[in-house]
Amino acid sequence: MNTEIEAGEPIRVLLAKPTHDCHDRGVRLVAKKMRDAGLEVIFINFLLPEEVVQAAVDEDVHVVGISTSAGGHLPIFEDLLAGLASQGRQDAVVIAGGVIPPGDATKLESWGVEAIFGPGTNADQAIEMIKGRLQTSQS
Amino acid sequence: MNNQEPVERKTTVFDDETLERSRKSAQDWEAAYLRLVAKFGDAAPPRATGPRTPSGIALKSAYFPHDIEDLDPELIGSPGAYPFTRGNLPAQYQLMNWANQPVIGYGLPEDTRGRMDALADQGMIGYFGQKFYNLVYDLVSHEGLDPDHRAARGRVGQSGMGVYSKADMARLFADMDLTKMNVVHITYYQVVPALAQYVALADDQGVAPDQLRGNSMNWYHQSAYVGMSAFPPRQGHKLAVELINYCSKNMPRWNTTNFFGYGAEEAGGTAVEEIAFMLAYGIDLVRACVESGLDADQALARFGFQIAQGNDFFEEICKVRALRRIWATTMKDRFGAKDPRSMHVRIHTHTSGVSLTAQQPLVNLIRTTLHAFGAALSGVQAMEVSAYDEALAIPTEEAATLALRVQQVIQEETNITSVSDPLAGSYYVETLTNQLAEAALELVDEIEALGGYIAAQESGWLRRRIEASAERWRGEVDSGERTIVGLNKYRTDEPAPTDLFEVDPKVEQVAIERIQDLRANRDNDRWEAAMKTYTEAAQVLAEKDYADLDGTLIEAAIGVAKADATTGEMMGVLKAALGWRAPHEY
Repeated sequence: MNTEIEAGEPIRVLLAKPTHDCHDRGVRLVAKKMRDAGLEVIFINFLLPEEVVQAAVDEDVHVVGISTSAGGHLPIFEDLLAGLASQGRQDAVVIAGGVIPPGDATKLESWGVEAIFGPGTNADQAIEMIKGRLQTSQS
Repeated sequence: MNNQEPVERKTTVFDDETLERSRKSAQDWEAAYLRLVAKFGDAAPPRATGPRTPSGIALKSAYFPHDIEDLDPELIGSPGAYPFTRGNLPAQYQLMNWANQPVIGYGLPEDTRGRMDALADQGMIGYFGQKFYNLVYDLVSHEGLDPDHRAARGRVGQSGMGVYSKADMARLFADMDLTKMNVVHITYYQVVPALAQYVALADDQGVAPDQLRGNSMNWYHQSAYVGMSAFPPRQGHKLAVELINYCSKNMPRWNTTNFFGYGAEEAGGTAVEEIAFMLAYGIDLVRACVESGLDADQALARFGFQIAQGNDFFEEICKVRALRRIWATTMKDRFGAKDPRSMHVRIHTHTSGVSLTAQQPLVNLIRTTLHAFGAALSGVQAMEVSAYDEALAIPTEEAATLALRVQQVIQEETNITSVSDPLAGSYYVETLTNQLAEAALELVDEIEALGGYIAAQESGWLRRRIEASAERWRGEVDSGERTIVGLNKYRTDEPAPTDLFEVDPKVEQVAIERIQDLRANRDNDRWEAAMKTYTEAAQVLAEKDYADLDGTLIEAAIGVAKADATTGEMMGVLKAALGWRAPHEY
């Protein structure tokens, strides 16, 4: 199922970071850059993945991005992907950022996480990826 | 006092003739320099035509004696003399090297203990050869939860040790004499349970609190720029003052508070912002301590600082010298501090983690060596050198050992430890030190005008200020104006690293079983009674003013820790009483 996006409708992105993870310098900057690029960004900190699922549903977002740099990411994505599917939102584009070791990155990709932006990538790469991905599904 | 005209005091380091010659040499040099630059035309790089530090301080391309002619020589002073620009003590490293303090913590208490012992075997020691452990708690504990909470899944023993009770403390320090070591408890906001459980363990061993040496972080103020859930700023501030009150009465050897400048710089702040934020918070904290009835000297003598040593070699060195000066002058002038220890800035340097790259990770060893070398030249008391693989995962034992070796090579092979404050008197270093001190004091005045640090935290001003700096930095990296080797220049295709550290997934199950056993088997009547007292103390604290703080809550916390209360239970009470919320949205 492809993410539906109407012509002229802004792309809505939910960016979320676990509350236990202090490394939020990157994701806050990404949020700002995305807004500057015309995307609608909702930013939340969460304790449990279902809070992210709920926000994704409530805000009807096209993209869900999780930023995690302190470990504990695998269960978050496991619950997030299952939660989105159970809410009929498996169409949402799920992306990740932060410190995710290569082995785990491979695992996340096999689960359906579409892109992983590790240390050193810049916000523009994520913005291009999102725009490209959603335009493709629109056509 | 009298009607005499003030005597014109000569305050410069140099006599008139030297200054005259200095100005002349500078003129000649500048003319020659500009001719050279002109030959390059537009090809002259910015560092040739308009050099600046990352804090935005304009630099000259060469410095001369007259650059420091207006600087009062008393402000430079001598090592160990007020205002301590050149160091806290007359001796720097001649009698004792700085303490090697790697941060340790992962998995179960026994796993962390294993690495403590391994690093101690490799020569990790503190002052006077004492055992010294810099221990970091895990993500679950940072969140104030127990390992069987749903949100703990995948986080137990990650990025720190899974220690959640007095029983876990006992596993961590099995067969060790707590009176013969110094333990730093690196927490975020679970400061109270960590201290209480440690004191409770000591009590089981027959060791009184006044025999314990170590540190609490008291890091509530860092929620101004660190994005985790936290207590509301004013409630956190009260917890900090409460702990200082308890320790000043019961734990005279315990260092109560750590000023977390490191976090400000890691979050994107400049060197000026880092030291100004620490001083501004210091002013607010001492003010509250004095309101609570403590003497400034009682509170101040047990404060410590964690600062970052980042890439800009000289600015990072000079910031340390500047901080020592402005801390001492401020604490003396504003609060009447008399004890030299109250004016000392005791520094643990953490080499900058944010400067490290996931790309070409071995290059990080070069970066951390330069950071550590700069910190050593600035005269700090203790150091943690980042491991080269930490942008990828929790460091391996090999990486942790190499980080220790960086310090040992500098300490034992370079001979820089023979001379105190070796860069003093450099026209450049003294000028930049002075500029950083002035810029920081100006920023502190700005924060004071906003009502002080806590008020500026509540309004989000501190956060916005740091974020603006972070954005500026990133813009420079993205545009290539700022080079990061291996990231935006000299890139290579490299295979993904494979030899990364992983925490055994069995850790989680063991931690859950242990905490559930503990709850099932403890003396429930004792636990209930202690929890009642503690809960009441927390509720009372929530309504208290600074003037009413007296350490009662910490006393009650030690009571519940002795009765085997867990970190999640202890933090749950504080969260309910004081409030707990996600970081601000701006």
